Order: sequence, then structure tokens, then C-alpha cells
Amino acid sequence: MSERRKVENPDLDLTPIMNLVTILIPTLLMAAQFVHLAVIDSTLPAIGQPQTTEPDPNETPPLNLQLFITAGGLTLMGTGADEILFPDGKPTLQPGEAMPPTIPCKSGAVCTGVEDYDWKALTKKLGVLKDRFPKEQNVILVPDNAVRYELIVSAMDAARADIEVKDENNKSRELFPYVVIAGGAP
Amino acid sequence: MKKPRRGEAPGPLNINSMMDMMTIILVFLLKSYSSEDVSVAPSDNLQLPFSTAEAAPKLAVNMVVEKGQVIVDGKPILQLGTADDPTKPGSKVPAVPETELQGQLVPKLFDVLTQKATDAKALGERAGGSSKDLGFKGQILMQVDKDMPFNVVRTVMYTAGQAQFGEFKFVVVKLNE
Repeated sequence: MSERRKVENPDLDLTPIMNLVTILIPTLLMAAQFVHLAVIDSTLPAIGQPQTTEPDPNETPPLNLQLFITAGGLTLMGTGADEILFPDGKPTLQPGEAMPPTIPCKSGAVCTGVEDYDWKALTKKLGVLKDRFPKEQNVILVPDNAVRYELIVSAMDAARADIEVKDENNKSRELFPYVVIAGGAP
Repeated sequence: MKKPRRGEAPGPLNINSMMDMMTIILVFLLKSYSSEDVSVAPSDNLQLPFSTAEAAPKLAVNMVVEKGQVIVDGKPILQLGTADDPTKPGSKVPAVPETELQGQLVPKLFDVLTQKATDAKALGERAGGSSKDLGFKGQILMQVDKDMPFNVVRTVMYTAGQAQFGEFKFVVVKLNE
């Protein structure tokens, strides 16, 4: 009998480990996150940080960069930025005429969807503005009433950083990360 | 393993291959394990937009603006109506009903948010400033459906702003993950 026990090589009993794993899998499955979330910070203009310092006459006035999102495209406006925004000279407007968009839709006069807005051109234009005003970090978004929320998020993405230009640490070039959403006309 | 003879009881089940499979599943699940403070219940009425943003969400008052209603911390507060879409004739877009509006303000939402702000302030005072996380910072997490027109978003934001929530954190789905 004792000799027989030595020869026999019983299988390892894996049942307790199986029990453990079977409990662990549903637990982890519940805690697993397959969609990764992020947040974009923004403030209202009225509650944004007030400018406490007196304006220095030697310094360049603040840019006050504004980005209008309309059905016809994207319009940029800023103090002292006209020569960058309008390289061919600022268009003269008739009374009651709306300013043509700085960055029109790809397909024509009215944009059909998120992809129809030229976000790359916007990022490029903002990059040029950032070269000229390196200290500026704010951009004020002024969307039209009917503009979809998705477009506002895309505009914030395009204004935050240029992902195509990387620095030595492989970080995207920062443009205007502080987004303020203006009320717009009700 | 010895093959059982006819009439003999079969030997124990070999679960080695199943163990292999379970181990792989376990490792995969451990990798996707996360303990984020914010959870999103996906539905047809709430599709979050994609974004390249990187900042991780933090715990704050949670406001969900989905196609039919506005929810604050899990409780439906305001039912949204529909209005004609000015860009696409014939289609409808969500809108805040005129009856719920007082100027630009939504009183129902304002009351709830003011209560939340008061509670958060009381909690911060009770903690005596010992913990930075407990103080009221006016932060609000906004989960907004990607097709929501801006006038609804603006009305909701304005109301939140009046109720002392001035720091908006828009929850988005991270791209390239």
C-alpha cells in the first residue's frame, strides 16, 4: 500500500483557485472602464478672473481673442490682431452686413457637420496668433444659438493645443488653453 | 491521464485549459480597472462628444443635460421640450420650455443648485478648512449630449452661474485610448 502511494502522482486540485477567479472576474468586470473620460475646464465670463492690474501704456493691450462659431464658419477677432487675421486688409462692411468668417466651411457657405468646419486651419491661425502674443492664454467662445455642443467641444480642442507640433518632451504645443464661454445674444 | 475503462467512473475533469483562459481574462480586466470618480450611464439620450482633453474628472456636483431632461446628481429636475431646428427645417431640437424660463434663468434648476451650493458650503465649514477637497469651489461637472443646441447649454450654464457654480467641467470621451 505504501509503495503504491509513492508511485501515484495526483493532479493538483485547482478547484479553490477556480472559485477565487470566478468571483474576481465579475468584480473586475464591474469596475472595468472601457470608455475613458476627461474634462475640459471652462468658466463664465462674469465669474472669470478679474483684471486687477492697471494697464501699462508701454505694454501691448490684451488680445481679448474671440472665436465666433456660426453656421457659416469660424470667425476670429482680437485687439491688435487684424493684420494676422486679415492679411489682405480688413474688409469694409456695409451697415447691417455681417463679417465674413475668417475660416469658412470646407464645403461652402453653410457648414453641414462637425467635419465640415476647418479645425486644422483654425489651429494654424491660432498658432500664428500665439507667435505674436506668446503670453495670451485666454480665448472667448461666442457660439450661435443653434450651434451644437459637439462643435463647441471641437472648438475648445482646436484652441487648446496644436497636436501636430510637439516640443522636446513630446508634448503638444499649447495655444490658448483657458476657454471662456460667452453668453452670446439670447 | 489514464483512460477510464468501460464501466469505470471517469477521472476528475481537467480544468487546466480553463484556468489558462481565466488567467488571461483576469489580467485583461486588471489592466482596464479604474477607479474614476465619475461614471456615465450611456444611453441614446446622452452621447458625450469626443475630445483630445487629458485632465481627469474629479468629484463635483454632477449635471447631466440629455435629450429629454436635465438631471442633477441623479435626480431629474427639468423636462426639456422641443423646438424647430432653425438650421434644418422640419426637424426638432431640444429646448427649454418657455413656461420654465424666467428671463434666462430656470427657477427649478436654480433652487436645486443653490441648495447644493449651500450644503457644500456647510460641509466645508464643518470641516473647518482642514481638508481642501471639502471646501466649496463652485465646480460642476457637465455631461451634455453632443447634439444639444447651445441655447439650452447657455441657459443651463447661466442658471448654474447664478447659483454660484462658476467653474464648469465638461465631461468628454477621451480620444486615442
